[in-house]
Amino acid sequence: MPPDLKKKDNVNAWLFVLPALLGLFCFVLLPFLLAVVLSFTNLRLGSPLPTEFIGFTQYQRIMTDTAFLHALKNNMLFALIVVPLQTGLALMLALLINHPLRGMSLFRTFFFMPVVFPLSLIAVVWTLLFAPGPEGALNRMLEFITLGIWQPRDFLHDPHWALPAITLTSIWQGVGFQMVILLAALQAIPAELYEAASVDGANKRQQLFYITLPQLRNALIFVVLVTTILAFRLFDQVQIMTQGGPLYATTTVMYETVNTAFASQQIAKGAAMTVVFFTIVLFLTLLQRAIMKQEKVIE
Amino acid sequence: MLINNPTGINYFFVAVAILIITGCTQNNNETTQAGIKMLAVWAHAGQAAERQVLQSQVTRFNQQNPDIDITLTFIPERHYNAQIQAAALANDLPDLLEFDGPYLYSYIWQNHLLPLESLLPASVINDLLPSIIEQGSLGQHIYSVGVFESGLGLYARRSALQRIQARIPSTTSEAWKIDEFNTILQQLAEQDNGHAVLDLKLNYTGEWLTFGFSPILQSAGADVIERKHYQNSTGILNSARAVFALQQLQNWIQQGWVDANLDDAAFVTGRTALSWSGHWDYERYRTAWQEDLVVLPLPDFGFGSKTGHGSWSWGITRKSRYPKAAAKFVRFLLRTEEVLAMSNANGTVPGTHSALHLSKYYGKNGELRLFADQLLHGVAVPRPKTPAYPIITTVFQQAIQQIRHGANVTQVLDYAAQAIDQDIHDNQGYPFTSTTNSSGP
Repeated sequence: MPPDLKKKDNVNAWLFVLPALLGLFCFVLLPFLLAVVLSFTNLRLGSPLPTEFIGFTQYQRIMTDTAFLHALKNNMLFALIVVPLQTGLALMLALLINHPLRGMSLFRTFFFMPVVFPLSLIAVVWTLLFAPGPEGALNRMLEFITLGIWQPRDFLHDPHWALPAITLTSIWQGVGFQMVILLAALQAIPAELYEAASVDGANKRQQLFYITLPQLRNALIFVVLVTTILAFRLFDQVQIMTQGGPLYATTTVMYETVNTAFASQQIAKGAAMTVVFFTIVLFLTLLQRAIMKQEKVIE
Repeated sequence: MLINNPTGINYFFVAVAILIITGCTQNNNETTQAGIKMLAVWAHAGQAAERQVLQSQVTRFNQQNPDIDITLTFIPERHYNAQIQAAALANDLPDLLEFDGPYLYSYIWQNHLLPLESLLPASVINDLLPSIIEQGSLGQHIYSVGVFESGLGLYARRSALQRIQARIPSTTSEAWKIDEFNTILQQLAEQDNGHAVLDLKLNYTGEWLTFGFSPILQSAGADVIERKHYQNSTGILNSARAVFALQQLQNWIQQGWVDANLDDAAFVTGRTALSWSGHWDYERYRTAWQEDLVVLPLPDFGFGSKTGHGSWSWGITRKSRYPKAAAKFVRFLLRTEEVLAMSNANGTVPGTHSALHLSKYYGKNGELRLFADQLLHGVAVPRPKTPAYPIITTVFQQAIQQIRHGANVTQVLDYAAQAIDQDIHDNQGYPFTSTTNSSGP
């Protein structure tokens, strides 16, 4: 390629990414930099008192704040459970649904539907399903399945059950999204590969492990990354179903941040929380990327 | 053409971005045309009936006053204060603003509100219930007026109480003592095969927890904060009396006497014989139980039965170009027939003496007279009158949630008192200085 053409290509490339960069700058980088600056101040929402720089005080506070530490722990635990479980389940569903059977589009719609519903609506419905006492739908079902051995409990107000309950809701709501991505990737795998494999005498299990999974590699990595980030953003379900309780069992960093910044009007403390959180999520994402390199498509 | 000129595109994008970012901040609620005074009014989106009455009041007021044009905006109740704060930051507050009573002091401190005594005639102010004046004033000035007041008490089924031969108090001085109340709960539960017998509206979150349960503290001789200087909560909110009071609440829940009330129908379906609730449930409860329904004062924890009060009220912002026109609308809302119309729509206690007399439910011999008496005779304690209220209520709500879930009451209250003190300290004691408000106390 002649040098001037290449140069022109570069200019055009920059032009094409410019709108995206502008958006990233305005809505991600700028707010983050602002949060860093604010976290060193004592800014309060609506206070007529002058804002002062107070050094690392806000960081000292959140690092000794019981609620925030619980929130961090819950976020980790939630991500640790949700990411493998939801990705595995999405893969299973995608494999199931990929069979060209009659009525499959119906199942596809059913599995995908929760993704379309607003999270707040889903949270309310599941709150009702988790209702305490023998009248609660889930309690009644478990009692029926276990032939009466199950003792009805108040899932959302039991410190041991609240986070699992929210986890279940989240997986049920989110799995359809990952399923659709994996399904698309599945359908992009050339049929010749399978044909060649079966000619060579590979059975279904071998086909899954030596063709399907390697071919899905990039899609799976994408799904794991996205699910991790979404898992860390957990907020709506907590806000509606448990308000962080019982006894901090379900509080998350997002929930604590919103509560601190807006209900308690302590913007600076909330900013410090987001800075710590952003750093952790960024570190984890980079770590994940380092471990699971995506294969580049052949140029 | 643009393709050959990349910098042109650059400028184009920047221009678009600037347009998008600045486009929304244009202030368009104050355009004056031909001498018409445009007024922006913000109110909370309450029950449908309440919204309809306010909408019709605005329409009728606009018709009667051709020189004034009110635009009414309803704002969802949840996070109402956060939205006001955001609007204030953007310098976009309306002329007339409705807000939940106890947030008033925060808004005065932030210098958003005008004193009303020069805008409203004394006759209008004097007609207000004493509790509304109490809530609306700070120092020498009155900053907000309410069209209605709230009531809090215990609803009960008379027949259920008679079955266990419980005494039925008719005035606040006769309220059940805490031991008596515990016995009643136990007996009711025995009658009901150990099922829940008390509805504490645990399905509600947010302000209800402070409104509904801080009177317990006051009835036990404690409080959420020291009331003279509003500088410390330690020693008050975590006092032995406060711990005792909230341990009672925790005990009711741990005994299994309290219904989770997820469907908000614990009392109307007869699952519980008692419901700890406010004026807003009266109509539903009355329809369900007819003559069997009784309204009782909250139990007495040792220092007399106490109850909460305060509701949504109106304030005129300093930003308003037409404070007199805004005050005219407030006067319109406080006309006896308008007060009664609103009270009938949302079931609240009418906010003026003249309307109270005429009220079917709250007037003499009305079925909800107890609520009016509580307001008139000092049984109702206002929520703390300090700019720290937003943090106090947030912290107290979290404390109640934790106590509900079985946390150690002493530890929870120690932590809460410390959090409140910390915030007051961070705000230098919320001083009213000449820069914040020239007319503070």
